[in-house]
Amino acid sequence: MKVVPLQKKEKVLGKVYGKRRYDLPLNNNENTRFLVILIALMSFLATLGLSGFFTLGAMAERWTSGLKNNLTLEIPAETKEGRLLSAEEMTSLTQAAVSILSSYPAVESHTVMSREDIQKLVEPWLGEGTLSAAAFPLPGLISVKTKPGTERKSLEALTEKIHSAVAGARLDTHESWLRDVLRFTGALQFAATLLLATIALTTIIAVAGAVNARLSVHRADVELLHLMGATDRYISRQFQRHALLLGLAGSAAGVAAGSLGLLAIGWMTGEMDVNLLPQHRLSLPQIISTATTPLIIALLAVMAARQTVLQALAKMP
Amino acid sequence: MIRFEHVGLRYGIGPEVLSDINFTLAPGSFHFLTGPSGAGKTSLMNLMYLGRLPTRGLVTMFGQNINKMKREDMVAIRQRIGVVFQDFRLLNHMSTFDNVALPLRIVGKPEKEIQSNVSELLEWVGLGEHMNVLPNTMSGGQQQRIAIARAVVTRPRLLLADEPTGNLDDEIGERLLSLFEQLNRMGTTLVIATHNQMLMDKFPHPRLILSKGILTIEESKFNLRKKLEGLF
Ligand SMILES: Nc1ncnc2c1ncn2[C@@H]1O[C@H](COP(=O)(O)OP(=O)(O)OP(=O)(O)O)[C@@H](O)[C@H]1O
Ligand SMILES: [Mg+2]
Repeated sequence: MKVVPLQKKEKVLGKVYGKRRYDLPLNNNENTRFLVILIALMSFLATLGLSGFFTLGAMAERWTSGLKNNLTLEIPAETKEGRLLSAEEMTSLTQAAVSILSSYPAVESHTVMSREDIQKLVEPWLGEGTLSAAAFPLPGLISVKTKPGTERKSLEALTEKIHSAVAGARLDTHESWLRDVLRFTGALQFAATLLLATIALTTIIAVAGAVNARLSVHRADVELLHLMGATDRYISRQFQRHALLLGLAGSAAGVAAGSLGLLAIGWMTGEMDVNLLPQHRLSLPQIISTATTPLIIALLAVMAARQTVLQALAKMP
Repeated sequence: MIRFEHVGLRYGIGPEVLSDINFTLAPGSFHFLTGPSGAGKTSLMNLMYLGRLPTRGLVTMFGQNINKMKREDMVAIRQRIGVVFQDFRLLNHMSTFDNVALPLRIVGKPEKEIQSNVSELLEWVGLGEHMNVLPNTMSGGQQQRIAIARAVVTRPRLLLADEPTGNLDDEIGERLLSLFEQLNRMGTTLVIATHNQMLMDKFPHPRLILSKGILTIEESKFNLRKKLEGLF
């Protein structure tokens, strides 16, 4: 093995470091570590916030997708006076409803649910086996699919028509339920957006504060660079490059930790078998926005640094 | 190149350090600036390298009134001026090499050119062995030579040197003075603040003498004799 003389080695090192040369000693300070940790935490939160945003969107989608354009027509099993209808009576009422539905233009399709289907639907509430007795009164249910873009007026007319033919029939449009779900998830998504905005603002303020502190620490050196003919842009580039490195390091770590956290949460909810939550499948927009979070945060840091330095330098001779 | 008209300078609410300074330095001239300690030599230099604006009077540098100068124009003028600060003002977080290379990097010279120019210059001032050493680990004289190398590396049109030989022995002092003369011959205008009587005697250039805030110009005896010889 050839031993490189120290002098030469030093020169090589000098060249390597030359690429990462700082005109101001920005890279060796405790403030740096503080800022990296802060940015990492912010990125961690941003990852969770983003995931919350997308999960809420998926949730709303899942809860509503099955319901849009879907109606349920319910034929009660007893009259207003409380008399149970006979099987024949039920069949004839169902027939009447079906004939209206078949001829109604806005209806795309309809399915009369069999006794077994209905039984399956109510079983969780009433317990298995309780319905084996065929005599147990069950309402008639017809699931109706309307054509996309059907207007509310048209549905009201349909309801009217069915009411006159089948006394006590109920047409459930799920509309109020839909509205509530969308309003609820919308509000939560708005909260998530606020959280993301707060994170961005905090990052900007922290970077600006750190840059101002460093500027006053290195004021003499900054002045010297000015006296040697450095432009404001030249000096701010020093800070921008530094902010970029810190921002990338911090946010990459934060987003990585955040993603691990999400995996853990996903695993926990998977174990719980919560039917309300959508399957924890990552959507493409979520993957893209999570992957670009470090870049966006680093970019915010760079812009904050640039703005702060240029403003401060404009006040210097 | 440099024109001062009725220039006064005070720091804050203190007394006037410079009062009614008047002089003109032609392009390509070489002047010593001398006077007792505290007379205001450094302050005068400060005005010349645009480190401060005068509190009164008119300073014209490279044909431009510095009071009315825009920021961008100041940058262009500062890039044409090399300064050796009395207290060196080296950056202690970077190597000797990088300190000297800094003014070249600021003006965006290609790295290859920087490598060869800076190495050559450092060899010349006797610091070839210390290129990768941090300045604050070196002696006062060595640091002074780094400061000088940094000031001349861009071949400035105007070189302002504040006590550049204060920490150097006579031999190196003379060697550097002859470097300055060489620059002067290539067109650089020089102002060198110094107390060193021997050096001023050896290199006969006109002197700007500051005393109690007033500046007088004294032609060197050598030049006077030459002028007298020309008369007869
Ligand atoms: N930044 C400053 N703030 C306030 N007063 C200052 C400042 N710099 C210099 N002075 C004052 O201005 C006067 C002239 O100082 P200056 O440094 O210009 O003198 P000098 O001729 O360079 O001295 P020396 O030969 O010791 O270097 C001194 O009285 C000093 O106290
Ligand atoms: Mg001085």
